Amino acid sequence: MQSWLTVWSHADHILLGFANTLLLFLLASFLAFVTACCLVYLLEGYQNLPRRGLRALLDLLRMSPFLIYVYLLYYGLPEAGIRFDAWTAGIVALVSYHACYFAEILRAARAMLPQGQAESAQAHGYTPFGMYRRILLPQMILRSGPLFGNQLICCLKDTAFLSIVTVFELTAAANDVQSIYFIPMPAFITAIALYWIVSLGIETCLRLLGRLAKTRGLSYE
Amino acid sequence: MNDNMPVIDVRGLRKSFANVEVLKGIDFQVQRGKTVSVLGSSGSGKSTMLRCINWLEQPDSGSIHITGERIGIRADGKTPMSGRELAHMRARTAMVFQSFNLWPHLTVLENVIEAPVHVQRVARDEAIERARSLLHKVGMSHKIDAYPWTLSGGQKQRVAIARALAMSPEVILFDEPTSALDPELVGEVQSVMRTLAEDGFTMVIVTHEMDFARAISHEVVFIDQGLVVERAEPEKFFTAPDTDRVRQFLGRYR
Amino acid sequence: MDSSFWSEILGGAWITLWVSGISIALGIVLGLGMAMLRGARIPLLGQILSLYVSVVRATPLVTLVLFLFVAAPSLGWDIDRRIIAVAAMTINTTAFNAEIWRSAFSTFPRDQIEAAKAAGMTQDLMLRRIILPQLVITSLPGLVNEMSLLVKSSPAIAMVGLVDLTRVSYRIGAVTYEPLPPILAAGAMYLLIIGVLVWLQRMVDRYASRLAM
Repeated sequence: MQSWLTVWSHADHILLGFANTLLLFLLASFLAFVTACCLVYLLEGYQNLPRRGLRALLDLLRMSPFLIYVYLLYYGLPEAGIRFDAWTAGIVALVSYHACYFAEILRAARAMLPQGQAESAQAHGYTPFGMYRRILLPQMILRSGPLFGNQLICCLKDTAFLSIVTVFELTAAANDVQSIYFIPMPAFITAIALYWIVSLGIETCLRLLGRLAKTRGLSYE
Repeated sequence: MNDNMPVIDVRGLRKSFANVEVLKGIDFQVQRGKTVSVLGSSGSGKSTMLRCINWLEQPDSGSIHITGERIGIRADGKTPMSGRELAHMRARTAMVFQSFNLWPHLTVLENVIEAPVHVQRVARDEAIERARSLLHKVGMSHKIDAYPWTLSGGQKQRVAIARALAMSPEVILFDEPTSALDPELVGEVQSVMRTLAEDGFTMVIVTHEMDFARAISHEVVFIDQGLVVERAEPEKFFTAPDTDRVRQFLGRYR
Repeated sequence: MDSSFWSEILGGAWITLWVSGISIALGIVLGLGMAMLRGARIPLLGQILSLYVSVVRATPLVTLVLFLFVAAPSLGWDIDRRIIAVAAMTINTTAFNAEIWRSAFSTFPRDQIEAAKAAGMTQDLMLRRIILPQLVITSLPGLVNEMSLLVKSSPAIAMVGLVDLTRVSYRIGAVTYEPLPPILAAGAMYLLIIGVLVWLQRMVDRYASRLAM
């Protein structure tokens, strides 16, 4: 009981870490998503060499562990002259890494869109970009519902890896409190509970979005 | 065993699904060596009754005896049978389903020997030999090592019939065996069933195919709104039925 | 980059491989057991397992490993850090596998079960001969996918001081002041391992759809 009170009295430290986790997660997932939309647009059309190269690069990144990629950006790049601080390296890693996964989800959804969609848009005089933005992309997004949910939760969990490169977030904060006051159970249980709550929130949001998709006749079924 | 004992003896069968009473007290007997067709409109309860016989559906009340032994409830009349006891009783019957229900990960031969080897503990070689002759009987010898997904509907159903026969059952239950088949394929299945009837198998067939029922049955049973309305030999049933309801039913199909 | 460099890298790769390997094997079996337990519909157990799956799937592996590592001594247990690593990874992957198996069970065609019942098979026989053989094939793509996800999160075990592929690359860099080569070497090794898993998944996908189940 005493240990829980200790956690409570240091709630501000844990909440600070939590806030940073949320910030990293929300910012990174938003940017990753936008980047992915652009990436998929770039991949549209004839599969020439640059496009194939881009796809290969995205596939390569998806096959790598996140932490090694962070190491590359944070420890490896300085050798090539690019120096990030830990937080920046973290954000850049999160955004670029998860952009690849989001792009793959969107690409698969794109492949499943009927040919007629693009054709009717072209017949109506849409520019390629306009067609992509207003006709294709909304459908691609609405069709991929639960896959996004899973990926977002992965993004949330990957923020914890950043504690290894000294970024201050929830796991690091919980570890701080427990190591100073010797209360491993309550501190980490609190952290795990917070991760869990956020993931439940993500799933709820996506369910609501899914309902929206259904009213427009566009669910992922 | 008493030769006059019915193979199937159903008394007072009642069954409801979600407050809708589908079977309202069915009495129904099948004698050994006879082929009985069960007719009725959709929703009359005929499939439900058939599925109660091997306890795929659990009746709310009434009794079902297979060759004199009660299925579903133990000898004390109250305790439900355990899974093993049910399986043991079910091994005496065999069922041919509307959607064939072959096991896709097994070849045709393996489908037919599966139950004899693993349920009845028949020696594998013996089971294979018997399976080969059964598959020959239904005209599927050339597909012995094929997987179900390569077969047509009619072929699958004939394999299903061989699988049922392999169990040496006391009775074969057919649940609308040709309803899911394309018209050209119906004939091949019906001719197999005709052979079985001629060979003296005890069969209960729930079907919509009037002409077929008329041709192969020893008895026709008409079920309407959960009750047995009429029971007669085919000629009488189809030409001079006793009840108005049957006349009405036949009128719609003529 | 000399032979001692590569022997260290390979040493790290070995640790990554065996810790992941044991966790994968345990996780597949335990996940199946969990899915079957949930199918048995024992009142309280179903909810507890649901909760377990939900919480563990939301917990970062880093956090879980760290938690076990510091919680064990506080309970008075002195557990080897390698066992902690395997335990954490197993707990994690079991939750995901349980979902994969559960979903496969729930979409298994009822028709085949009815045919098995009608042929007089007991529940046990049905499970062994009819359900599991097919379930394994349909679950395989998902299970192999989860294997590669697990390997990608395996660097978390560096948290407890195990010198896996990631940590070894950091160590070499810290000593030689040339961090890039070991990171690239480790990255290449990971790509190799995960490449094999991805290839395996593609094979399994093709096999499963060919049997058209």
